Amino acid sequence: MIPIAYWRNRKLYTRLIGSRCKKCGAEYYPPVKVCKKCGSTEIEEKEMLKTGTIVSFTKLTEPPVDFKDYAPIYLAMIRLDNGILVLGQLADAESEEIKIGARVMATIRKWTEDGQSGIIYYGYKFKII
Amino acid sequence: MRLNSAILGYGAYVPKYRISTEEIARIWFGEGSGPNRMKAVASYDEDALTMAYEAASIALKMAKYPEIEAILVGSESKPYAVKPMGSILSDIFGFNKILGVDLEFACKGGTEAVQMISGMITSGVIKHGLAIGSDTAQGRPADDLEYTAASGAGAVVLGQPNGNEIAKITHSVTFVTDTPDFWRRPKEHYPTHLGRFTGEPAYFTHIMSSVKLLFEETGYKPSDFNYAIFHQPNPKFPVEVGKRLGFTDEQLKPGLLNDELGNSYSANTLVALNAVLDVSKPGDKILLSSFGSGAGSDTFVIEVVSKPDDDDYIPLREKLKKYVEIDYATYSKWRNKIIR
Amino acid sequence: MSKVYIKSVGLVPVGEHWNKSLTDLMVEASLNALKNAGNVKIDRIIVGNMMSGYLNNQEHLGALLASALGMKGIDSLKVEAACGSGGMAVHEGYVSIKSGEFENVLVVGVEKMKDADTSVLTKALAMAESAEFTQVVGASFISLNALLMKMYMNRYNVQEDHLDIFPVIAHKNAVTAPHAQFKKAFTIEDVKRSPYIAEPIRLLSSAPSSDGAAAVLLSSKPADVEILASEVSTNELMLSQRENPLKFEATEKAFKKAVEKSGIDSSKVDFLEIHDAFPIVAALSLEAMGYSEEGKAAHDAAKGKYNFEGDLPILTFGGLKARGHPVGGTGVYQVAEAYMQLSGTAGKNQVQGAKVGVTQNVGGIDTTSIVHIMRKVS
Repeated sequence: MIPIAYWRNRKLYTRLIGSRCKKCGAEYYPPVKVCKKCGSTEIEEKEMLKTGTIVSFTKLTEPPVDFKDYAPIYLAMIRLDNGILVLGQLADAESEEIKIGARVMATIRKWTEDGQSGIIYYGYKFKII
Repeated sequence: MRLNSAILGYGAYVPKYRISTEEIARIWFGEGSGPNRMKAVASYDEDALTMAYEAASIALKMAKYPEIEAILVGSESKPYAVKPMGSILSDIFGFNKILGVDLEFACKGGTEAVQMISGMITSGVIKHGLAIGSDTAQGRPADDLEYTAASGAGAVVLGQPNGNEIAKITHSVTFVTDTPDFWRRPKEHYPTHLGRFTGEPAYFTHIMSSVKLLFEETGYKPSDFNYAIFHQPNPKFPVEVGKRLGFTDEQLKPGLLNDELGNSYSANTLVALNAVLDVSKPGDKILLSSFGSGAGSDTFVIEVVSKPDDDDYIPLREKLKKYVEIDYATYSKWRNKIIR
Repeated sequence: MSKVYIKSVGLVPVGEHWNKSLTDLMVEASLNALKNAGNVKIDRIIVGNMMSGYLNNQEHLGALLASALGMKGIDSLKVEAACGSGGMAVHEGYVSIKSGEFENVLVVGVEKMKDADTSVLTKALAMAESAEFTQVVGASFISLNALLMKMYMNRYNVQEDHLDIFPVIAHKNAVTAPHAQFKKAFTIEDVKRSPYIAEPIRLLSSAPSSDGAAAVLLSSKPADVEILASEVSTNELMLSQRENPLKFEATEKAFKKAVEKSGIDSSKVDFLEIHDAFPIVAALSLEAMGYSEEGKAAHDAAKGKYNFEGDLPILTFGGLKARGHPVGGTGVYQVAEAYMQLSGTAGKNQVQGAKVGVTQNVGGIDTTSIVHIMRKVS
């Protein structure tokens, strides 16, 4: 992770700030500059709903190098209640309760950190409710 | 000192995982257990900040998200030695015109935050503030403290009393001395303590002095309170100090959590306050007295005004029913006790 | 506009080349192609590669290869489209000749992966999706495919073992392929015995990491094989941003355009080199090209349709799964293999009477899709 890039996106990562097209109302996470539905560039910030449903999930035993210490990690595709599909990790997940259709809520957890001396990257993860 | 602040929302967060003290004793002594049954353990991706966020989210929702002007976070396990949790949380919650800073006084950082924000509200400096205590307390492996040093967070949203608040904070006193019962030098991973010296000269002396000071200032006596909360480093001390001060088991019991959760340091008495507010009724009076090694004690008088107005709120003890026990190996991995 | 022919190809066997560098691999493939072409003057070099900067600390592969081949002065560049870099390099070579600006273009696809630690490689491959929104949550490329595969299984009521037919087909075909990384057949039971990397994707259902380079020499001068169409299409970068992640829109569009431009009836295709990085990618690719109905690719494969002896052989030298997947090299290997089939030089892997072949190479999960249709020049 790149500290300054993280800083730019911190609200997107911690609050799921996406965007909404002022013309056609389409919503996006991550945010867009151009509406993919109607092409409008009149876009405003929109905070996503923090609850949703698991659409798909997997248990990853060989994560990328920055996440190596946290294996296994549970990843899921979540359909947020405002209709947006979001990729995220499941926090405090026990295998038996992870199911397609399970209800989840976004919280904030540590994503990763740059060793003992570097930045700690916090961001959204989903908890099964 | 007289205070005039109101609790508008409260919340506590206890991580999902527990380790039994039998499991800890099994590793180091082959048998036995600690003074408590279990302690709460933060997962590998949790720290004082993420837990503070969880507790504060519950409190802010209950308070219906007022414009917060101060976030003070008490903790002795800050994720950064330099870089406050107060500012990170301010940004996450979207309050940028704010005093956002951290406090440390061993186990009483959380109540210090309550006292300072209440002072700012009483004086009219701010209208709303958020006080948090959050810790992932670390006990040195095989040390007595390892049985109890636990994780958790408690938060209260404070504002000006208007009759609709959950509770009023009317008085607070603090008693402090230089008593070396427990400390941690910079860059040390684990704290050091002086064993039984942490009892009489430290815990008992400071809490009793602080409570007696409050009684002198206010004229209150133990029977004026429906509930009493004392800092819980183990299951025994709060009961013993309560007895010495003249409180009954019934006054103490609703707030006692150490046996199943351990000692979440700066969060300790705020988590207990949450459990008591869950069962108290309008008109009830609560005495709360924290203890921080080093050493000092903050004591408060809290008057319950009304029940929370939040349909989604789940009482703390209800949430505590669901937990997962982990073994010492998992605990060691998650809490960074394995040399790699 | 010029027609585009494949004059020759040159391959390095795919594998773990501890003694060969990124440059060694490119040079070896290039020299093989040049030798096979006879006396041809190259006027452009295009290198397809994804990760040389991150894995090998090396960029500027165009000039690097020109210099290493003693061709300084030539027009030379690198193109990148994640796992589709090789196919994209062929496409750029095709366009170069089609435009009339160039006569002989050497296209080289290369990836030197085995110098890197697995977790570093895993991070590098995840760069095919968003750094800011995919990598930050810890997702690997395999895990994205696993999420997709589970959606597919759930939607069409297909089981994991049904889809594992694709690696079995790939490995069977690779047994006699001289340049394949794994010349070993296995069964669905063998796949099931291997560990999960990201459930439901297992070690044996996932394409390997490999070192390799392949070269094809494209020319405006008539040769044995003609590229009739070279088409590229793109999809949303992130899987989560797609309306229907189970639809490979880029492959569907690229294939449709390629069929139209080539004038070939898609039912007359004799073999198909698809991008079988994972079983789910093989299945969704076949469905996007219309060879199987939605949700039915594994079913068709189980009935033998895609076997070497079946109606439509796929992965005739083992595909990504068994020939190996040197990422930026893969798309060029596919085109080279199609050339071998159409020029009758496929040896024991020869599809009898092959006249028309299709290659489909993707970058990301169908994020960029490159389709080539080639014919035997009679």
